Amino acid sequence: MALVKHVAAADPVDDVQDDTAHDRAQLIADLGSPNATTRRRAARTLAEMRSAVPVLCAHLADEPSLSVRSIILTGLIVSKSPAVVAGLLPLLDSEDANLRNGAIEALQQMPDEVAPHVEAMLADPDSDLRIFAINVLAALPHPDVPAWLRRVVASDPHVNVCAAALDALAEVGEPDAIPDLQDLAERFSDVVFIRFAVDATIRRIRGR
Amino acid sequence: MDLTHLPAESVVSDQEFAKFCEFFYRKTGIMFDPKKKYFAERRIVERMNRTGCATFREYFATVRFESTGEEMQRLVNQMTVNETYFFREDYQMKALVQGILPDLARRQSGESRIRLWSVPCSSGEEPYSIAIHILENWIDADRYDIEIMASDIDSAILADAAAGIYGERALQRLSPALIKKYFTAQKDRAFQISADLRGSIDFSRGNVMDPLFMRRFRNIDVIFCRNMLIYFDDTSRREAIEAMYDCLSPGGYICLGHSESMSRISSLFRPRKYADSIIYQKPFESEA
Repeated sequence: MALVKHVAAADPVDDVQDDTAHDRAQLIADLGSPNATTRRRAARTLAEMRSAVPVLCAHLADEPSLSVRSIILTGLIVSKSPAVVAGLLPLLDSEDANLRNGAIEALQQMPDEVAPHVEAMLADPDSDLRIFAINVLAALPHPDVPAWLRRVVASDPHVNVCAAALDALAEVGEPDAIPDLQDLAERFSDVVFIRFAVDATIRRIRGR
Repeated sequence: MDLTHLPAESVVSDQEFAKFCEFFYRKTGIMFDPKKKYFAERRIVERMNRTGCATFREYFATVRFESTGEEMQRLVNQMTVNETYFFREDYQMKALVQGILPDLARRQSGESRIRLWSVPCSSGEEPYSIAIHILENWIDADRYDIEIMASDIDSAILADAAAGIYGERALQRLSPALIKKYFTAQKDRAFQISADLRGSIDFSRGNVMDPLFMRRFRNIDVIFCRNMLIYFDDTSRREAIEAMYDCLSPGGYICLGHSESMSRISSLFRPRKYADSIIYQKPFESEA
């Protein structure tokens, strides 16, 4: 018969069971291993140590393996804290789109910890970073998101930043955002796309 | 479901429904055709009644901004149907025998063992269906030692799985020939799956979120994890998928349910198409 019953005792012992044998220094050293599996195991254990957050955040930028990055980001999401957010925010400035998107997705899952940083993120002199901040807000489960986005459309000088905020407001905007949207269309009256997007967003907000 | 509070007129406008659909799709991968508006709307209204929301706008804000995600999860539960039977979503089992197993066989070098894991296995219909599909449809089955493991968090349901006794409804998609071949009629129109099949599957109780439990599973070639992650929150989903990643051999596969999409959970896996099914493959070590 082709089917045979699995015999658990015959399985090779997985050395991941020896986590307790590793000390913190060894685990940090393992993050530099050329072997991705070793780095994954080290990252998984370090993610359970609150004191290792800065090390893991710093390592993310240098980590070439997507699977190791992923395990670090998941560990950081689970242990969400102000220190994690502080460690992830600089990654929004990364040239590596995968890393940047990983940081955005992680930040979206820490609404209470991200909220104190939003004003500063939206005031960054770099318009790209303001767009990435709006990308964070777009799926952030926080009740202040509509107000933050309204402030962007009311005052941000960069058309692409405003367009990103418009896109997010189409989902979460309330009727009290409509005057700001109409002002935005006036402010960028020479940009056809903005007129179109404002109309579409207002229709969505009105629900008809 | 209590629909006594469902108003005669629609409480969700078409624009609001479109907005809801975009949000729900982004979060879950479940897409509602406009023709299914009534189906979705009556479940939304049910949740509005339960949460005391007077308008759809109010309810949508609750779902959208609640940091715990609890109401979102309740809505998902309301929108999804949880039932199991033999050969459910059997297009994935066709993918298994037509694409996945031949691929694994091609890559075997000296090893003649193929290891599959059904989690959660509920009352056993899925692992037994996998076994029957392999025995019936993979011509190379006899050349390999095929191990099928099956796990669930619920010890009572696992006892049912091990006993292998089912009513007619669970067998409705099996041909009379397959029922005759693999089942024995019992009293009260029940059927028990053959002792050979019951004896070939390794049932175990455990939770995919428990690292100690998950470490028992290594070098798995194919995981069937269908219609479970949809009930997890975003973080738990990521944790579960990453734990399963560690369970798989390089190049191993994971099959998710029809309403679940890996792209909303993780970018660790590569999508593969076999027999009209999208299956997710763990990269080989050089790519990971």
